[in-house]
Parts: sequence; structure tokens; C-alpha cells
Amino acid sequence: MYQPQMNKKFKYIFLLLSTLTASSCKDYLEQAPDQRASLDSVEDVAELLVTAYPQANYITFTEAMSDNADDKGAAAGGGDPINRDPWYFEDVRGREEDTPDFYWNACYKAIAAANQALAVINTATNPEEYSGQKGEALVARAYAHFMLVSLFSKMYDPATAVSDPGIPYVTEPENVVIKQYERKTVAYVYEQIEKDLTEGLPLLNGSQYNVPKYHFTTAAAHAFASRFYLFKKEYDKVVAHANAVFVGGNILPNLRPINDPAYRAMEYLNREANYTEATNPANILLAETRSIWGRSFASYRYGFTFDILNETIWSANVAGGQWGQQLYGQNLSLRMPKFREHFVRESQNANFGDPYNIIPLFTAEEVLFNRAEANAWLGNTAATLKDLNDYASTRMIVSDSNPVYDPETLYITTAKIRSFYRTTSVQQGLLATILDFKRVEFLFEGLRWFDLMRYNIPIVHTTADNATTITLGPDDPRRVFQIPQEATLSGIALNPR
Amino acid sequence: MIKNFYPKIKTSINFIFLLLLLTTGFSSQAKTAKHTSISVFLADIVVRGTVQAPGNNGGPADNMAGVTVLQKGTNNGTATDASGNFQLTVPDNAVLVFSMVGYKTQEVPVSGRTTLAITLALDENFLKEVVVTGYQEVDKRLFTGAATTLSGSDAKREGITDVSRMLEGRVAGVTVQNVSGTFGAAPKIRVRGATSITGDNKPLWVVDGIILEDVVNISNEQLSTGDPSTLLGSSVAGLNPDDIESFQILKDASATSLYGARAMNGVILITTKKGKVGQPVISYTGNFSTYLKPSYRNFDIMNSYDQMSVYAEMARKGWLDYGDVVNRANGGVYLKMYNLLEYADGSETPGLYNSPEARAAFLNKYAQANTDWFDILFRNSFQQEHSLSLSSGTEKTQMYYSTSYLQDNGWSLGSGVQRFTGNVRANFNVSDKIQFGLITQGSIRDQRAPGTLGRNSNPVTGEFSRDFDINPFSYALNTSRALTAYDENGNREFFRMNYAPFNILHELENNTLDLNVIDLKIQGEFRYNILRNLKYAFDGAYRYASTGQEHKIHEDSNMPQAYRAGVYPENATIRAANRFLYTSPEDPDAQPVSVLPSGGFYITNDDFLKSYYLRNSLDYNLNFLDVHTLRLFGSQELRYINRINKQFTGYGYQYDKGGVPFIDPNAIKQAVEGNFNYYSMNMGFDRYLAYAANAAYSYAGKYQLNGTVRYDGSNLLGAARSARWLPTWNVSSSWNVDEEAFMQNLPVISQLTLRATYGLTASMGNATNSSLVLQSGSTLRPYLTEVESAIGIRYLENTELTWEKQYETNVGLNLGLFQNKLNATVDAYNRDGFDLIGPIRTSGIGGEAIKIANYADMQSQGIEGSLGAGIIQEKDYGWRTQLTFGYNHSTITNLKSEPMIWDLVGANGGPQQGYSYRGLFSIDFDKLNTANGSPIFINEEGEAGNNVYLQSNATSYLKYEGPVDPTINGGFYNAFNYKNFTLSALLTYSGGNKIRLNPVYKNSYTDLDAMPSDFLTRWIMIGDDGTPSIIEARNQSALDGAYPYNAYNYSSARVANGEFVRLKQVSLGYNLPTILVSRFHLKNMSLNLVANNLWLIYADKRLNGQDPEFFSTGGVALPVPRQFTLSLKMGI
Repeated sequence: MYQPQMNKKFKYIFLLLSTLTASSCKDYLEQAPDQRASLDSVEDVAELLVTAYPQANYITFTEAMSDNADDKGAAAGGGDPINRDPWYFEDVRGREEDTPDFYWNACYKAIAAANQALAVINTATNPEEYSGQKGEALVARAYAHFMLVSLFSKMYDPATAVSDPGIPYVTEPENVVIKQYERKTVAYVYEQIEKDLTEGLPLLNGSQYNVPKYHFTTAAAHAFASRFYLFKKEYDKVVAHANAVFVGGNILPNLRPINDPAYRAMEYLNREANYTEATNPANILLAETRSIWGRSFASYRYGFTFDILNETIWSANVAGGQWGQQLYGQNLSLRMPKFREHFVRESQNANFGDPYNIIPLFTAEEVLFNRAEANAWLGNTAATLKDLNDYASTRMIVSDSNPVYDPETLYITTAKIRSFYRTTSVQQGLLATILDFKRVEFLFEGLRWFDLMRYNIPIVHTTADNATTITLGPDDPRRVFQIPQEATLSGIALNPR
Repeated sequence: MIKNFYPKIKTSINFIFLLLLLTTGFSSQAKTAKHTSISVFLADIVVRGTVQAPGNNGGPADNMAGVTVLQKGTNNGTATDASGNFQLTVPDNAVLVFSMVGYKTQEVPVSGRTTLAITLALDENFLKEVVVTGYQEVDKRLFTGAATTLSGSDAKREGITDVSRMLEGRVAGVTVQNVSGTFGAAPKIRVRGATSITGDNKPLWVVDGIILEDVVNISNEQLSTGDPSTLLGSSVAGLNPDDIESFQILKDASATSLYGARAMNGVILITTKKGKVGQPVISYTGNFSTYLKPSYRNFDIMNSYDQMSVYAEMARKGWLDYGDVVNRANGGVYLKMYNLLEYADGSETPGLYNSPEARAAFLNKYAQANTDWFDILFRNSFQQEHSLSLSSGTEKTQMYYSTSYLQDNGWSLGSGVQRFTGNVRANFNVSDKIQFGLITQGSIRDQRAPGTLGRNSNPVTGEFSRDFDINPFSYALNTSRALTAYDENGNREFFRMNYAPFNILHELENNTLDLNVIDLKIQGEFRYNILRNLKYAFDGAYRYASTGQEHKIHEDSNMPQAYRAGVYPENATIRAANRFLYTSPEDPDAQPVSVLPSGGFYITNDDFLKSYYLRNSLDYNLNFLDVHTLRLFGSQELRYINRINKQFTGYGYQYDKGGVPFIDPNAIKQAVEGNFNYYSMNMGFDRYLAYAANAAYSYAGKYQLNGTVRYDGSNLLGAARSARWLPTWNVSSSWNVDEEAFMQNLPVISQLTLRATYGLTASMGNATNSSLVLQSGSTLRPYLTEVESAIGIRYLENTELTWEKQYETNVGLNLGLFQNKLNATVDAYNRDGFDLIGPIRTSGIGGEAIKIANYADMQSQGIEGSLGAGIIQEKDYGWRTQLTFGYNHSTITNLKSEPMIWDLVGANGGPQQGYSYRGLFSIDFDKLNTANGSPIFINEEGEAGNNVYLQSNATSYLKYEGPVDPTINGGFYNAFNYKNFTLSALLTYSGGNKIRLNPVYKNSYTDLDAMPSDFLTRWIMIGDDGTPSIIEARNQSALDGAYPYNAYNYSSARVANGEFVRLKQVSLGYNLPTILVSRFHLKNMSLNLVANNLWLIYADKRLNGQDPEFFSTGGVALPVPRQFTLSLKMGI
């Protein structure tokens, strides 16, 4: 008797329940739980690409491992592992800022941002509006991979690149906790870098950035290309890209006026600030990095000493003048004003926090040297000499008592080179000049390491007590930095030791 | 007259029968009584009578209201009135059936009598108990899960204003740790320990069936930081304790099953009072409390004489040299002395002549000071609490109104609370099919606390610090007793803090935190009985809560002056050293300037919560063949929560100049350059949907089988649908052994039930990246011209993200002996937590070196029990006792996090694989350096030295001390009554954990520091072997570790056992005789004298006065005070 009535009521109730739930269910849970950003517009993607640059510093380990570092002895302290280990050619302990692990992670983090941007661009309905961002993403992705392959794989050698293990070239966002990757080969990685670089570079436009010096402008991309092709030993491309960095290929006006009286008169802190300011025309690409390098490099036990100073700045040079660079500090604290620390406090009143350094990734000086080196290899002696003399005109002084550049006496000629380097080969002499100049120019900036690697130069470290000498020969496997241990989780073989 | 009321009574009869159906699952009477026709009988005789029930605990019989009286075989019936009387017209040969929920139904032949005296016997099988799950009410005999019921009157502790503290020691398996006693700060509550390694581990609070959302989500760990937000940590602080009818604590997977994927940490359910049928009852409760000031007798702090002698040693060792001290940021007596040596303001004489005698006399004055900071900063304050309620009702409508007012003048200076609550609850029985109810609950809170900023954890030096902390308790413990609050003229005496003058009394007046909370909830319920055994219910609630914190820092107080120190007045040394001054990055060589040339600060922090809750449910009951009971339940619910947090820092607010702000643009510039926002607004959106179904079957009340499935959906895991939904389930069963025939020969055992549960529960972890999580921000570059907005990848997409889950097995036993005079409940459980969220280091190739993912596992086991007994139950006297016991042990079986030493050695401990949920680890202290008394530790390479790098990941050599959370806890409650007197006492105990002693050692001290008497045994000369020395200033820089003395605070030498026994409450009550009370036209009146938190009976001696529960973190945290309350209750 109740049966039909019950059915009717059931129906009613279920109707009520289902309308209450089904209508809302689908959209109801779509609400984001917080105010997370989304990537809906060109501006959003552009902002994401601000983080597509490695925010980590490679200088600490490349400098300590190079011939720019000496043992200052026990008076300089016990030696922080991040400074000590690379000097001893050992795998660096620790994973925090200024370690190879940290740099590895930062590069891949930058790559992830680039890949995420590209993923959005590739599915956008209006991809043409994103072309500038696409260019930046591709070039930034290429740069981060290039730095990784340069540090964690063997230097590019056309003979062995097809078999030397590379580093994973990542082109899509990761979406699982542990994903498997392949190292492939150095040649493959270079291929991919070149592909991204050549695809991305033409897409860049001049007006897409708010703060251009922190982005791959066309100029910065050409600067990167000049380095890339230099490493790849395609010298005519180096020259072409280096010429494209500045209008008319004219680098000289953009060099730092180190020997200029006004520059020499600047106070230490101002000079330090000036070195990495965006307004400084020598800086082509800057990156902010979490690093204690700026506050520590002078006091590290394994670093720049008077011995190295005597070997470099204070020694005779091919131009016949003196270097205009000024050093500060004493025996255990020699330094140049290059890195102004930006200290980000933990809270507004805290006296602790994270230190940041601005690092010049590409400078006018490097572009000049890249062009000079390529021209030297191409046999364009005059062009090489022009660049070297342009450079010298901003660095060299006659003497401390007469601190000006005198082209009459300081002009570099092939004759000077032949006699200074005691060589009959002008090309060899030019290359030696370039490497020596670069060593001085990029002191405390870590770039010496790459030259040592490219030219397979052995490195010898001797402890302060002269008890131990360690040599990093040309084929030593330790010339390649070790990949983070955890990479094995993703199927990545570590470098041989 | 009776006839006039008849239909009404009938409604109530039906209602009661339905309730019977609902709660007992079967009732043979119900079947026969339910007829639809109304018939009028010939009045043969009128039967009058009284129905009584045996008194509680053997007391005198009480008249029973509301007993159903029915002529058998008909639906002619009535119910007894408030005095237990009834009157019914029946044939003279009728048989009357008396029934009442919880009592044995009695059939009485009228046999021509016109007066009857009936005494109903208790139905022992029934025990009157139902388990309220928030979704259903289940007869306790048929309930298969682990749950504990505590009635409001049992739990109530007079003078305790926050209901969350009332569960302490009363419920087995529930730990309540009073990490702070400040009003509004929640205690750390855990039901059966922790289930998540990184999550909150807070139980779910449910009030009248509606989940109570937190206004601000404060994890159990954050509760002990002392930050201002902890004052909003207790979600139930707005409830009037007098409104609470009962607590129900749901512990195992079966009990919590209907809460599905939120219930992993247990559920605490609060049921508030409803109006009752009958005469209006007006009740008043007044509590008048006073707190005792803390006393130096209970703490181990040096007196001023000993303290000055330590300073003298410091002075000898070069820590108090004129040159260092005179421009130091913080300083006491010595700094003052050195400043007085100056010829201030061109005067001809210095404040103090620089002669040894004059200096000695100056110092001696302070050596004799022996300031009692507790006496100065605390008061034996007065707290009053008034609560008035009115309950009234007819069969159709029941109303409950209440209001309460709490005023606490504050134990310490600069604190105080006012709270108002209001509550209206109405229930309407529109017809026998439709009922609805409305609840409106609101509360307003005004609170004042000492102004405070958030705490900083500094892993570099190994210190927790709080800038400008003026917490009176920390101040009293950490400030030298040689300092004085007043000078010899009775004026306030200032010393120096942060380069600016400081006097704690002045500061407490000029730096305040005002907190206000407005919380309003409107709740409705609707019940429709579709069929006799099929019911539809709707529950809905809307809640709006708004909280505001106003931190007012007057321009005269220390903080704004610190922002000006060195500039106004000019002092080049201070100016160069003062970290609160500002140097523009454009001009790095310039002199620092003040960003706050005038005015103080006005900092606000507001939180808003808006939430909706909707639930539909269907409940179907079926009894067949008299022995089978089947209950099916289905529900669907929706929760919607929006939260907003706003913060604002106002610079240069001039309190003395009519509130006109004086804003230096550098203040904003400095903040922006430092990547701090001077204002912010954040929103959070929680959305939940859930569907649940439950089936319960019982055979003859002996064998129960219960199963639940629930399907939860939430937006919190992120946009991907894959992770959004999670099914949970459980099965449980119980066996009422006492129902078996073979048990009838064992009359000793009145109840024996065995229970078993197995199921899956879950909770939401703190990862939200089922799709990519991006975060907007700005770049960390020094120049504003180079700063740009950036979007960073916060978390990569994780398609494998899911909820945190655990399988729980629970076996339990309920035992009643001697007519349930002795009751015991024991439960044992095993929990397998999996898919727990933890940090894991990856290859980094995807772009995220450390991911937060579901991979960790944790196991825990526990046993808990309670024993209750009415040992003596005589007419005039009685003794009841209750003992609860809980043991919980957890082990993290898989966790790949890589904490640094600093994460593990602090008072809160840290998680490590192979150890308990939060283990306390220690740096391995070896011995004191024989040459200088500095502490020497054994490092990870087994070498001895001073050096401990607290940010190191090398943690394997640390010494494991034990869990931070107690593994054992419980309480012992006794109540005695003699005639009108009652005396009760509650002891609580806890143990199995380790406690980090308060950090007191530093590399260097100032002439402000107060030291415990441990320093009296400090290393002074070679051969001493006590506590670390005060190192010579010139030796300090030669220590190879940067901060060995700070590290000593976190070493194996600074650990105590956590076990303690506390006399939590003693209460003496007196019920005034009815004869006396009735003269005042009152129904009853009682007086209670209560002492709360009376005595720490036992604790590790090493604690030396440190409270084993309280984390002395400064800020707004104060320990639970000793409190005496006079409570007055009246019923009209």
C-alpha cells in the first residue's frame, strides 16, 4: 500500500539531491585554492621568463679549481668545503649556494621556466603575439643547457663529441615526482643548443623587456652565440655574431674605462656597485644569483694571492705598460670591487637572510675577446690586433706615476707579441695574448676555467707548505664537475672518477 | 483538558517512538502503537499515578517526566508531566504500558485501580547512551567504533574559559598540551598521536554537526611560536562553556568514517544545549577567579647579588669594557654607569665620578636591588565570567537562549580579555513529519596583549629571536634582577635596548596588541520523515568571522626610537652600527639615515572567514523478523570557505599628534628594496564536496556489522582532476557478548562488547600542486630601477599527487561489571600511514631539486583505556573514580628529507626516518675544554671540538633523545560526595618524551642577562667540571666554532625528561539545601570553590622550574597560571 507513495517520494528526494550536487559539482571544485598566478597572457609568460635564467653562481668552484687560486695557508682558516674541495680537484661537498649541485639545480630550474613558457606558447591560440617570448625562452633554454654541458660534460671536441656523454636536454615540463632522463652525447646537446639558439635569436625584438639587461636581448643572444660558436670552434660564426652585438661591430665605446682617471677616482663601494649596474654599457647580460661569493672571495683560503698577482697583473705584459686594474686588501684579502652584495633579510628587522650577487653573464669585453680569438684562428691578424689594442686602450697605463694610456708606447704589434712570447707563430702569440688578457680581465669572475678547459691546459695546485702538489692533467676525468648524486634516481650515470 | 492536549501529546509520542526507532533500531511497541486513526474511548475509569525512576548512583527515586503511558493495543495514551504525574481514562480492565527511552518497558494491568505508583527499572542494555557522530545518532550498543562521550557537566572546569582545555586528562588517547596559556591560544591537541609528518595533525572540530573551520590555520607546531596569530589558534574560543551539552571524541576509522578524508586526526564533536519541554528553566553561573603571580621561588634565577658577581667576572674577562659597552645596543647597569661618567650637556660634573669607590658604590646599589619582576609585571588578577541561560519548551517548540560575559583583567600587565557570547537555539516540531531548528551563535572578543612581532629562527647562530619582545613572562625570566624598574626617586628607570631607552612598564603601556574577534554562525536544520522509517535531513550553516589585530607602537616606545637611534640624537658610532637605519643603495658610502624621523608604527593584521555548509542526508531503518535491524544512511555535503588575510604596516603614525602619520618615503623604499611588502592581502578558497553511504546491520542486538564508503572531492590539491577525488572506506563489527545465553550465568558481567574496525582514512596534505603552481613576486635586485615582476615556478605539476592516507586497525572492548558500577573501555590500534607528504630530493633535472610529494610512510601503534567506577554509591555519600590511560608510539618508516642540524635540535624536534614523528636530537656534548671551559662536542667525524655548523646536513651523528610529544598520558579523576558536599580532584600525567631546556648559554652576555643558578657551578678555573664558562672576550674569537655556547643549548647536556604529574584541578562544591534556596524563590543554588593548575607534583628536577608543557617563546605566550575560582550556580 505504501509502495507507490514511497517511490514517488524517493524520486523527489533523489531529484533534489541530484540537482543540488550535479549542477555545482563540476565547476565548484575548479576554484584554485589560493591566489596562484596563471599564465594567460603575453605579460604572464614574459614574467615567467624572468626566472628562465640560472640564479646561481658558478664562480666559486670554477675560480678555485683554476690557476687563479693558491693556498694562502692555515692563517686563512680551515677552508670552507665549497672553496677547498674544488681547489683539491675533489667533488664539492654540500649543495647550497656556490656549489656545482646548486648551479645544476638552478640551470634546470631556469630550463623548467623556459619549457613552461614554451608549453603555453605552443598551445596558445595567438602564437604570433608570443614570438618575442618564444625567442627568449628558446635562447634562455639553450644558454642554461650550454652552461651545464660546459661544466658537467667534456668540452666540445669535434672528434669525440659524438661519444662523450652530454647532459639531459629537457624540452618539456616535468609532471611526475621522479622522471627518467638520458644524457645522450655532447654532440647531441650542442645540436639542440644550436637549434634553439638559431630558432630563437631572430624572434627576439628590441622592445619586449622592462629591464633589458637581465634578459636575452638580441645583443645578448649574439654575445651568447659568439661564445657558443667559439666553444664549437666555428670561428666565422663567432665573428659574425660578435659583430652583431653592438652597432657596427664597434665594441670599444662599451668597454669599462678601467684606466680612466674618473673611474680610478671612484670610491670602493661605488666602484663595486658600478661594476654590475645595468646602466654600465659593458654589461650585456646580468643575472641575480644567491651567492656568498661577493662577501667571501677575498677571505677564502684558496684564492688570489700575491704570487698570482705577481704572475699576472704585476708581471710584464705584451703591451709593455702596466695594468690599470687596482686591487685592494692585504695578503689574505686581495680583492677587486666587482660584486656588490644585495642582502635580502629574512624579515624586515632581521639581521640574517640570503645574500645575492649580481653576476655579469656576458660583457662587452668577452665579446671582444671572442671575436679576437676567432679572428686569430681565422688568420685575420689585423682584426685581432685591433681588438686587442682597443682593449688595451681601456686598461693599460704607462706607470703608476703616469696613469694614462699612451698609444705610442703601448700599442701591441706582432713584433711585440713574437718577442714577448718568444714564438715565431703570430697566431700562437695572439692566442697567448688573448688568454693572458682574459685571465686578468675576468679575475674573480670564473671564466678562466673555460679557457683552461678549451685549451686543455694542465692546472697545478701546491699547498702553502709546499708539501703536496696536485696536478690536473689534460685528460684528467676530474676536469668535468660531478653531477649531483640524486641524478641517478632519474637514470643518469655520474661522471667517472 | 487532557483531550484538548491530546493531539499534541500524540505527536510527542510519535516523536518519541521515532526516536526510539532511530536510536534502538527496534521497538515492538512502535509497530503496534502507530495507527493513523484517532478514536475516542468511553471513559470507564480515570487512572491517576506517578512514575518514578531509581535515583542516580543509588540516590532517592526521582519523579519522571515524559514517560509514555499507553493503553495496550490502542493508541490511547498520555505522557507524565514534569512531576511524573499522569492521568488517563481507560477501561477498568485495560493494561497500561509505560515506556521511556533507556528504561525497561513495564506493563501494568489496571485491574480497577484508580491510582498507580510505578517505578521504572533502568534498561541496562540500553544505558541511555547514544553515540553522536554528527551525521547520525547511534545506539551505543550498536556502535562499532571507538568513541568517548563526555558530558558537558562532567567536562566543565570552572574558571577555564576555553573549552578545548577541558578534555585534558579526561579522554583516553587524547593529549592536550598547554603550550601557551594565553586566552585564545589553542592547546596542542592530538587524538591518538600524529598521522602526518608535515601536516597539521589537528583534530577536526565539529559543533552541532557542522565542521568548525579555522579562521587562521595554525598547525600544532606553530602553536608554540608565541606569534600573535596563535591567539586565533583556538577555533572554539568563542564558545560559552555553559552551552555545551556534551563532547564526543571519535577516534578510530569507523567512528570517523563519515568524515572521510578529513578525519585522519580524529574528530571532536561538541553538542550544544537544546531547549527542553517543560517549565522555563533559568540558570545562572558566575565564576570569579583570581590568578596567582608567578614567583621566583618556582624558578631558578639568580638573585641580584649573585648576578652582579657574574657581571664582575664578565667585566674581568673583558666583556664589559668601557669602549665596547658605552655604545652597545643593549645594556644594563654597566652601560648606565659608563654613560654617567660623561660630562653630559656641558655640565661641570659628570653623573658619576670615575673613581673605583664611586663605581663600586654605584654597582653595589644594583647588587642590592633584587628586583622582583614577577611582582612588578604580574598581578593577582581578577577574572569574572557570567553566564545566563533560559530553556523553555512545549511539545511544539523548544527554545534555548544563553548569553555570557567574560572579563579577564589580565594576569600580566598589558593583557586582558573580554568576551561576549550569545546563543539562541530553537526547535520546532511542525508536525509529526516535519521538524526544523535554528541555531544562532555569536561571540565577540576584545583582547589586549603585549605588542609583539613574529619570531625569527636564526640558523646561523642557533638562536630564536624576537625583535622588541616585551612578553612579561620572558622578560621576568630573562632580565637581570639587578636592574630596577624605578629609580630612587620613584621614577621609572630606563636602561638601553636596541640603542634606545627601555623600561618594561613604559613599554607595556606604549606597545600594545589589540585583538578583536566577531564570529557569527547561523545554522538551520530541517527533518522530514518521508516514511515512518525513512527520514530526510537537511543541515546548513553560514558562518562569518572577522578578526583584527592592531599592533600600536607608540612613538615613545622602544621600537620607533631604535629606528632613530644614532641619528636623533646624533651618535656616530651608534649610527654606523644601528641595523634599523637605512643606507640607500644608490649611495653606498653615505651615512645611514632614519626612515622614521617621527611617529611610531601602526601595524594591522586582519583575517576574515566566510563559510557555508550544506548537507542532505537520508536515513532508512528496517526491522524484520524481530531480530534483524538494518540501517542505511546516505549523505551529500558541500563546504565552502573563503579566507582573506590583510596586513598593513603603517610608518610614522603620530599617536600624540592626533594620529597624523608622518611618512618618510625612505621607509617604503627600504621595505621595497628589501623585498618586503608594507601591505598585503591574501585570499584562500577551500571547496569540498563529499558523498557518503553507510550500512549498519545488527542481528538481535548481538552481532553488528557496519560499513561505510565516502567519496571526497576538494580543490585544495590543485586544478588537476586526477588528484581531486578520493574514496575512503571502512568495515567494522561488534559483538555484544553479554547478550549471549551463556553469559546470563555470569551476572557479574553486565556488559561485554568486543569491537573491531579496519578502514582507510585520509587527510589533505600540504601540497597543492596537482597542477603547476606559480608564484608572483619581484626580482631580488638591489636597484629599484632594475627590479621587475616575475612569475616563478613554485611547484612543478605532480600528476601523482594524492591525499595522505592510512589504514587503521582498531580492536576494542567495553566491559561493565556489577550492574555497570564498574566500566572499562580498552582500545588498541595500529595505523599504517602511507602516501604521506614529505620533502624528497630529486635529480633536479625537472627544475625542482626538492619536491614535496606523497612517498613517506609512518606507523603508529597505541593502546588506550579508561576505567570508571562508582565505588561507593550510598544515599548520603559516594565515591566515583575515573582513570584514563593512553599510549601512542609512532615511527617514521620512510622519509627522505634532509634536515639541517638546526631543524632537529630545537624544542619542537624534527622528523627523521627511523624515529618518532618529532624526535628531539642533540649535539653530542663531550666535555668542557680544560683550558677555558668552553663546551666541546663530538662531530660527525668522531672528532672533538667546539665547532658545530648548525646548517649542516650531517645529522647522523646527532644523539637521539626521544620523542618530543608525550607517548603516555592520561588522567585520574575522583569525586566524593557527602550529603550536599562534593569534592573532586583531577590529576593528569604525561610522559615518555624529552624536553629541550630553555636556551640560556651564549658566547657572550650583556649586563642585562639573567642567569639560572646553573651558572653558579660554571667553569671558573682549570679543574672545574660543571657548566660552561664565561669565556674571555679575547679567547672568544679564537674558538674554532662560531657559536659553541649557543650550540651547547642544543646539546645532550640540555635535555630533561618530559614526564610529569600535575594536580590539575581540585573542586569543592556545596549544594544549598532546597528549603533554604526556595526562600529566595530559587530552584537550586550551589557554590564551588575550584583550584586550577594547582600543583606540579612531579617533574624532572633538571627542569628547574621550567614548565614541562610550556614553550617559553616570548611573544604572546604565557604559561597556564595557578587559578582559584569561586563558582556560583543558580536555577530559577
